[in-house]
Amino acid sequence: MSTYGLYYGIKPVRRKGWSFGQIVLFLFLMGLAAFMMLPLVFVVVNALKPLDELLLFPPRFWVQRPTLSNFGDLLLATSATTVPFVRYIFNSVIVSVSVVVLTILIGSMAAYALSNKHKFPGQELFFVLVVSSLMFASEVTSIPRYLIVNKLGWIDHYWALIIPPLAGGYGVFLMKQFIDQVPREIIEAAIIDGASDWTIFWKLIMPGAQSAWATLGITQFVATWNDAFSALIFTRTEVMKTLPLMLQTVGGGSIARAGAGAAATFLMIFPPIIIFVFLQSRVVESMAYSGIKS
Amino acid sequence: MSTEASRAIRVRRLRIPLHTQQAIMGYLFITPWIVGFLLFLAYPLVHSFWLSFNNLENLVNFQLRYIGLQNYVEAFLIDVNFLPMLYTTIRNAIIDVPLIIVFSLFTAIVVNQRLPGQGFFRAIFFLPVVIGSGLVIQQLFNQYQAEMGQAPLVRGIDVPTVILVVGPEFARTVLDLMNRLALVLWRTGVQILLFLAGLQGISSTLYEAARVDGASEWEKFWKITLPMISPIILLVAIYTIVDSFTDIFNPILNYIKNLAFAGQFRMGYAAALGWIYFIVVFALMGLVFWIGQRHTFYAGER
Repeated sequence: MSTYGLYYGIKPVRRKGWSFGQIVLFLFLMGLAAFMMLPLVFVVVNALKPLDELLLFPPRFWVQRPTLSNFGDLLLATSATTVPFVRYIFNSVIVSVSVVVLTILIGSMAAYALSNKHKFPGQELFFVLVVSSLMFASEVTSIPRYLIVNKLGWIDHYWALIIPPLAGGYGVFLMKQFIDQVPREIIEAAIIDGASDWTIFWKLIMPGAQSAWATLGITQFVATWNDAFSALIFTRTEVMKTLPLMLQTVGGGSIARAGAGAAATFLMIFPPIIIFVFLQSRVVESMAYSGIKS
Repeated sequence: MSTEASRAIRVRRLRIPLHTQQAIMGYLFITPWIVGFLLFLAYPLVHSFWLSFNNLENLVNFQLRYIGLQNYVEAFLIDVNFLPMLYTTIRNAIIDVPLIIVFSLFTAIVVNQRLPGQGFFRAIFFLPVVIGSGLVIQQLFNQYQAEMGQAPLVRGIDVPTVILVVGPEFARTVLDLMNRLALVLWRTGVQILLFLAGLQGISSTLYEAARVDGASEWEKFWKITLPMISPIILLVAIYTIVDSFTDIFNPILNYIKNLAFAGQFRMGYAAALGWIYFIVVFALMGLVFWIGQRHTFYAGER
């Protein structure tokens, strides 16, 4: 794990100049990167297309006469509803951030208990539960889930969007696989020094598994941010709807709204990218710090 | 530290043996997750299992009628859509999952090298996830795929016209391959990220030692990287399988969703299909897990 490199005090060996292999690799990556960029370019280009180009058959990739009128259409489409556009963004941000923070916390704690740093009766059974919980698409359990949320009185509350996703086993499983990698000697040394599990968890495990929870944070954010289904079944009023659900409503309505849909799509992809850049820089930072680069 | 120390002393005075202490802490740490699991996964599952033997008679007061195995009989013998969909989904997963694992491991290793623009490449490879896992790409695909029967992006960049010169048969094969490849490529973001995090977890002392011993890059990969990263490979395999069986393109899930919510409200039948689907996925994952656990190396264990 990132910080443990510090204990060994190893610095990366710097070589000067590029080898032939590095240049080939670089060019290969550039090609691949260009290909990977396509969806992003496509979304941006689509947002700039006038209506007739959007509906063109067969579709054309590039835009001929770029225009900003789609964003005007989007404003118009949302001003027709009683709720300002910012409200959807606000809802989405609240829900996504809460889910990310709580998933990391709950997942890491459970993972620490299930990791090979512990032994207690029932541990294996719990792990089996975690793994089997990975398999259920939320659609399959959505009916009873709806009934429970309804019984708890959470319909049309943020709770209904925040709490149910936390039950997934993905976070626990991911964190466990990484915590297993932490060298046992460090934990043992801490135990001999009289550190409690709580201290070990916060002072050793969490800083050590930074890249793991940053990864978990990114994936959870993307999943929650893009999830329209929960909002569809758990919300009633317009003020509680999230951005993807609103996007579905705007884009899916009629052909005339295709432009507004493209513009909304464009606005939708930016927050995940920002989160990604923010968290990924943390990962890279901690890695550069520890000198574990080969 | 002092409060912890004093608590440790207090605990010792109570004469709780160390392993009991560990067990208590273990349970405490896992409790928050277990509560959520019971409420929002275990109970709904049991409930949906029960639901699968019933027929929803009245939506308003959720009145159910017990009909035994009738829903399951319908799934296998009457429903002409379900089994072909199931077959296609499994076949696609079996083809795609190994491709995704190999490609993402390869890319992660390459991106983990010291290269100019390292951060840029990492960001690029994750971009498709940011866009592609959501509604956004679904809409793009829906819009075009219905008309074209193929991915719009490949079509859009005019690759086909170049290949068409060679011959229509060849062109179709290449197109299929490109479509699959494109979809596979755009589904590797999370996996690359997982592998990257795993690669960064490998202590550099191992590589230093190997270098001193005169190991080649090839040997380092097989003797250090691969064993050290094997828990992550298992993680990625499981993640990819789950992802391919639960993503938004999945025809079965859409079918189930529509049965349950879109007008028909055939919740009993939807629950039965959900359970059949779950058992299939469970069997596949169990297989992968069984294979994976025997070949996984855990550094922390002795």
